This record gives sequence, structure tokens and C-alpha cells, in this order.
Amino acid sequence: MLEQLLIFTRGGLILWTCKELGNALKGSPIDTLIRSCLLEERSAETSYQYDSPGAAYTLKWTFHNDLGLIFVAVYQRILHLLYVDDLLASVKKDFSSIYDPKRTAYNDFDEAFRQLRAEAEARGEEMRKMKQSVGRGPVVRGGKKQGQIRDAKNGLVQGVGKKGGKSGKSGGGKADSNGDSGKKNDSENRDSKSANGHTSNGYVDDTRVVLKSKENSISSSNGGAFDVNKLQKLRAKGNKKTGDINTVTKVSSNINATKKKPTKLNRVWDDAPSKAKLDFTDPVDGRGDEKVQVVVANEGESMMDKDEVFSSESENESEGEQVHNAKTGAKKKGWFSSVFQSISGNAVLEKSDLQPALKALKDRLMTKNVAEEISEKLCESVAASLEGKRLGSFTRISSTVQVAMEQALVRIMTPKRSIDILRDVHASKEQGKPYVIVFVGVNGVGKSTNLAKVAYWLLQHNVSVMMAACDTFRSGAVEQLRTHARRLDIPIFEKGYEKDPAVVAKEAIQEASRNNSDVVLVDTAGRMQDNEPLMRALSKLINLNNPNLVLFVGEALAGNDAVDQLSKFNQKLADLSSSPTSMLIDGILLTKFDTIDDKVGAALSMVYISGAPVMFVGCGQSYPDLKKLNVKSIVKTLLK
Amino acid sequence: MEIMDKKIIKEMERWIREIEQFFTQKPPEQIYVSVAVIALTFFVFLIVRLLKYSKSNTVVIAGLSGSGKTVLFYQLRDGSAHQGTVTSMEPNDDRFLLHSESEKKGKKNHVHVVDVPGHSRLRPKLDDFLPQSAGLVFVVDSLDFLPNCRAAAEYLYDILTKAAVVKKKIPVLILCNKTDKVTAHSKEFIKKQLEKEIEKLRVSRTAISTADITNEYTLGVPDEVFSFTQCRNKVLVGEASGLKGEISQLEQFIRNQIKA
Repeated sequence: MLEQLLIFTRGGLILWTCKELGNALKGSPIDTLIRSCLLEERSAETSYQYDSPGAAYTLKWTFHNDLGLIFVAVYQRILHLLYVDDLLASVKKDFSSIYDPKRTAYNDFDEAFRQLRAEAEARGEEMRKMKQSVGRGPVVRGGKKQGQIRDAKNGLVQGVGKKGGKSGKSGGGKADSNGDSGKKNDSENRDSKSANGHTSNGYVDDTRVVLKSKENSISSSNGGAFDVNKLQKLRAKGNKKTGDINTVTKVSSNINATKKKPTKLNRVWDDAPSKAKLDFTDPVDGRGDEKVQVVVANEGESMMDKDEVFSSESENESEGEQVHNAKTGAKKKGWFSSVFQSISGNAVLEKSDLQPALKALKDRLMTKNVAEEISEKLCESVAASLEGKRLGSFTRISSTVQVAMEQALVRIMTPKRSIDILRDVHASKEQGKPYVIVFVGVNGVGKSTNLAKVAYWLLQHNVSVMMAACDTFRSGAVEQLRTHARRLDIPIFEKGYEKDPAVVAKEAIQEASRNNSDVVLVDTAGRMQDNEPLMRALSKLINLNNPNLVLFVGEALAGNDAVDQLSKFNQKLADLSSSPTSMLIDGILLTKFDTIDDKVGAALSMVYISGAPVMFVGCGQSYPDLKKLNVKSIVKTLLK
Repeated sequence: MEIMDKKIIKEMERWIREIEQFFTQKPPEQIYVSVAVIALTFFVFLIVRLLKYSKSNTVVIAGLSGSGKTVLFYQLRDGSAHQGTVTSMEPNDDRFLLHSESEKKGKKNHVHVVDVPGHSRLRPKLDDFLPQSAGLVFVVDSLDFLPNCRAAAEYLYDILTKAAVVKKKIPVLILCNKTDKVTAHSKEFIKKQLEKEIEKLRVSRTAISTADITNEYTLGVPDEVFSFTQCRNKVLVGEASGLKGEISQLEQFIRNQIKA
């Protein structure tokens, strides 16, 4: 049974709700849907799960892009209503015929809706009876590609897992956290994605029904759980092999990097003259203690505070400029008719029209190092928002698509919460507690280097900083931090190697509150996202110490792996957290930005998959090389 | 070749003569009238364009998500909030007569009101409407004020330091919404809290670097606690209740700005 069906405009006014289904919705599912899904450019997904104390809803929606209307249907998650998509489509058609921009009350639609609903329910009943009589078809349907079958398996795994009462997982998707639940539900929705179109939703539902009956027959959830474990083991085995290889190569390269080769030339990234002094090791005695006069590093103003010179003339190029030379070769359906239509501007955009332009855009994004999955989802979301819209006069399809894509990119990259760290530090200072930042990431991305850069920047703003060396695994990590601390003249808390990082961090924070440091920067060891025990150790550190900011350090060179890293990190943090409000990744630090010329796609992939804003950008290997992300320039570079 | 040229020249001369004949044949008044009409339309067009540019007659409603902007917009326009609102994804932009003035007799001005979404991802949309705005209404949720105090103060600080607002001295009305509820804070309390928060922001943002990336101007006088009277543009504080329809202070502000 439907809980509610709403029709509202893009501007936010509710035009019509069904008065028969008078149930008040618990929580605020619609607002959460808008915030975590539609505004996050995930509008191409088929449904959205909403959890709140006392209610578990599924929401499905459809757009009418020409009139700017959104139709949303809400129903209980445990029901699997097959007719919802059908109903939404017919409601859309009917309502668009009576819609008038001036009217705000549509009470006459009640009658029409009642009829439509009865019809849709009848159709759904018929379909279900048909399917049940056809028999229990193949368990995994849909998936012409290998990847899709795997996805379907994952989907089944997660679907069954949910049914098996593992509410811990779904509890992770808390209602009002922006973007977090959306991203989690992303993976959970893949099971509905593996089926093509909404009619085959019935198939997936059917398979769920099938599994349910299997469970019941085995009379325990162990039947389903067995499959889950088996499938997970298979997956884990496959991934672990590649994960191990990766760890080995990364660790070895790390070791090579830290060894100082006397014949190695200083790498120059731009045409700056090489610095005279190359060897920064201070003359120390055996143990490397501070028995020397150290010149405190002062390398000028950190680039965080420098104004980004950015030409704004390019904004006029893409914003609303209508007759533009399309760089993409959009296929035209007959030159004269398309030119005529673009002049008169009455063409309604169909999906087939958008496909060539979108494909070209997707390829362009991928050449800029955006992960393939992300480009795909983005293009689908833009298509969903453009379908059915009327072309303005004198516009080509490709320019419309370009404008829409640019708006979508700006929307994604704009941070949805404040990235003003200094303000947060001050707020913490007032409360008398140190502000704790934890740097996490895979091996070799630049955590320790960028930690020093952040410390340098904070020092310039008169904030007292303390470092905590919780990388107790890698040889030389503690010494590395000690050197940075000496050069910056800040205290460092270290306990040597082979100690539990969580305990070291805890003691460091206590020490910081004792000597009134404002900020504690915690360095952790690099770890692969698939390495279960290491991820467990990391989440233990985070849970034990409750940091104010968990910064994921990712390198801009990463391609498709960035998506995997971030999503797995987030997932592990959510799964293995002991408290109900789990700490997830709050921000991203993008490193090695100076090494990529204009292949800036990693920033987009990371922001899209995690919903966390990019707080810093590391663009060099010396202390002042830390910048803020300039959204407009990134979008411009991506779409060039 | 020469013959060809001569022929062409002859043809052209003939055409020119024909045109001259045509013009001289017509009575002179017609020619004058047609020239005058063309010139007149040209001038009217110019004047209209000039007027459009110099006149800023828009009132922009901004504020955090959930503070009640869309409800206020529809109250202004239609006198009721209809069936409720959800988080806006696009600005609401309309030119209309204020609903409460529809019964009044006499000269009525159309007002152009824009309701900009408050969601942080859609903040850049505010910049599109600032150039033509004659007044800005910053809506604050007086019910749920303290948890959002910092975010509201940051947004207000960003607005007050935008170049468009400072240069054109756009007056700002801080509207405390949802005052019909019992636990709503008073406007004096909200004003004081906002001033305190902005003071903290000011200290942390201006005392640092000379080139601040995000804010184009700085607020307030150094060494003095910030207060809204230090702003170069007028800052007023008012109360309203969107759901109940008590928007008289808001309407007054709009009328003052649009007439001026």
C-alpha cells in the first residue's frame, strides 16, 4: 500500500498530495530525498531508502523536466509494490495535461488519481500472477555483462543480508546525514539497477521472494547467510590477491623512496631554478636528538591564503551563450530539420537525442581521469534532468547538455558544509578541548608530507599545533615526523614503533589538553582499503578518540581506484564503528595536484562518491604548497 | 571585358535613376514620416534598455535551508502557503502585486521577488540575482536558531561582504521567522547572537591575511565589537510568521525598497 504520493515543483511548492492516503509521513523523507539524492546528482537511480526511528520507507520518483515538476511515491520498505513505476508514469502523463503554472490547487485530480491507482494495482496484480505461474525462473536474471552479474550477486547478498535481520548495516544509513545515506544506499540500489527497466524490477522482486521462501523452508536465516558468506568469501579471496600484490609493490616503492640515494637529482616540476641546499638532514648524533640549532622553517606565506588569479571571461563562454560551436560531433537527424528546430526552439528532448552528446561528454570526462562509474552516473543524472525539456530557441542540443553538465558539476563540487577549519578550531578552543584531525589513506599518498603542510599553515594563523606519530609501522615514519616538528618548532608526541596507534593517539590528545595545544594532527600508517585487520585497527583508533575531522588523503593521480578506496574506507568505518553515530570521512585532502596537468578528474570522483568536500589541495613538496580548491577552475578544466 | 563592365555600370546607373525617381515621386511627407518612425522606435528602444539597466526593482529572499523562504514567497504572492513546501531546488522568481494590496485602491506597484534556495550546494544562485536587487531579506528560523546560529552567521557574513552588496549599499532585512511558536527567540536575542558570531568570524578571517580568497570586503571597524550599525548598507531586523501570514514588516520593507 502506498503511503503517500506527492507532486511538487522544483521551486519547492507542493501542488498535490493524495488525501485518501492521509497517513502523515514519519520523519522528513522528502526533504532527505532532495538533499541526499536529487541535489547530489544521483537522480538517475531508481529508488531511495529512507530510515528513521519508527519508519523505513522506499521512495521512487520521476521528473517532468519541461514543466519543472517532480512526482514522488513513498511506500513501506518491506512491501515490494510492482506497480509504483507504472503508476508514476501514468500520473505524470495525466497531471501534465491539467497543469497550469498559475494554479496552485488541484483538487480535481483526486478522482483521476483514484482511477489511475486502481488500474495500476490491477496491472501489478496481473503481472505478479503471471510471473508466479511462469515459475521460479533463474535466480539471477538480468546482467548481460560479467560485471552486472557480479553486481546482481552483490545486490542479492545485500538484499538477503538485510532480510536476515542485519539491521546494523542499514542502521548505518542514518536519516539526516547529508550524502552518507545516499552513498550507502547507492550500493544497496545496485540490485535494482542490474535489472533493466522498471518492468524487470518485478524479476528482482521475484528473486527476493524466491529467496525468502527458500529461507523459510530452511527455517532459519542461516540458509541465506550461508550464501552470503560463501559469496563474500569468493569476493574477498579475489580481491585479497590483488590487494596483497598492491600492498607489496606500494610498500617496496615507499621504502625505496625514503632511502636517500646520493646520486638522485632533485625533481623539478616546473621551471623554477633548483634550490641550492639539497640535503636537509641536520647534523645529529647517534640517536638523532635535538642537540643542534635548528632554523625554524619559514618559507613564506602558505598558498592557502593567496588569492587565486582566475580569469572569469571563460564563464561567459559557457553560461547561457546560445549559438556556440559544438566541439562534440553531435549526430544531427538531418541537417536542415535540426537547424530549423534549433532556431524555432520547440524540440522536445528525447533520450535518443541526448545520447550522442552525452556519450561525447562522458568520453571527455574519462580522458580527464574521472572514474568510469562516476562519469556514467553523472551522465545518466544529467539525462534524467534534461529529458522531456524543451530546447530554447537558437540552442543546439550539445550546448544545452554542456550547460546542464556544468551546472551539475558546480553543484557537486560546491561543499555543502563549511570548510572553514580555523573557525572550527576557534570553536573547539572556546570549549577548552583540542581539535583533533586524523589523516587516513592508502600507502604512499603523502599523508605525512601534507600533515606538515597543514601544520605550517595553521602555525601561520597563530594556532598552536601538536603532532602525534601514530604511524608505528613504517620504518622512519616517526623520525620523519620528528624532523618536520623540529623544523616547524612544534611539539610532537611519539611512542616509537610497534605500539598500538589507538592508544598512542589517546595519550597524545591528553597531552595536548595538558599543554594547551589547539590542534592535534594525527598521522596514521597507510593501508589498503581491502585489508581487513588494518581497517579494523583504523576504525578502532577513530572510535576510541572521536576526532573532530577525519581527512582522507587521496592522490590526484588515482583513477578508478579512488572510487574504490573512498567507498571502502567509508564502508569499513561505518560497519566497524561501535557507536550508533559512526564517524565517516569528513573531508578530502587531494595531493600531488601539481603532477597532473589538466587531468583533474580524481577530485570529481572522490567528491561524488563520498559527499565530503575537498578541504585542501597539496600542490608541491614544500611547506607553503597547500591550496584551497577552486571549484570554477576545476569545472572549467574538466569540460574543456 | 570592358564591354561587360560598361554594361554593368549602365545597369547600375539605370537602377539609381529609378530609385531617385521613385523617391521624388512620392510626396515628401511620407518619406519624412517613415524616417521619423524609424528614428522614434530606435530611441524608444534605447531608453527602455537604459531604464532597465539602472532600475533595480527586485527583492531577494535568502537564508538557510528550512527557514521558511518559500512559504513567505507564497504568502506575499497569494496570501497562503497552499499545501506546504519542500526543500527548493530552484529559485522562485515572480513579478506580482502583493496579495494584501490587491484589495487596496489606488496606484499599485508590481514587485519582483526572488526566493533563492538555501541549500549550501545552491548558494551560487544568489549571485545571479544580486546585481538587480534593491533589497535583500535574510530569513532566520527563530525556533531552531541556536543549533544553526553559526551557519546562519556565516551565510550572513558572506552576504554582507559581497562586492555587489557593499558597493550598491543594498539594504538588508534580517527577518526572524516562525515567531508564532511559543519557543521562538525574540528578535533582539537573535540580533545580539548574530552580532557576536559575526564578530568571531570577523576576527578569525580578517586579522589573518590581506588577501582573503572568499570574502571581498571586510566588515566592521577594527578594535571595535561588530554591530550592524557599522555596515555601510542599512541593516534592519524584523519579525514574521510565514504559516500564520503575519508578514506586515516584510511587506513594509518591500514597499519601501521598490518605491525608492
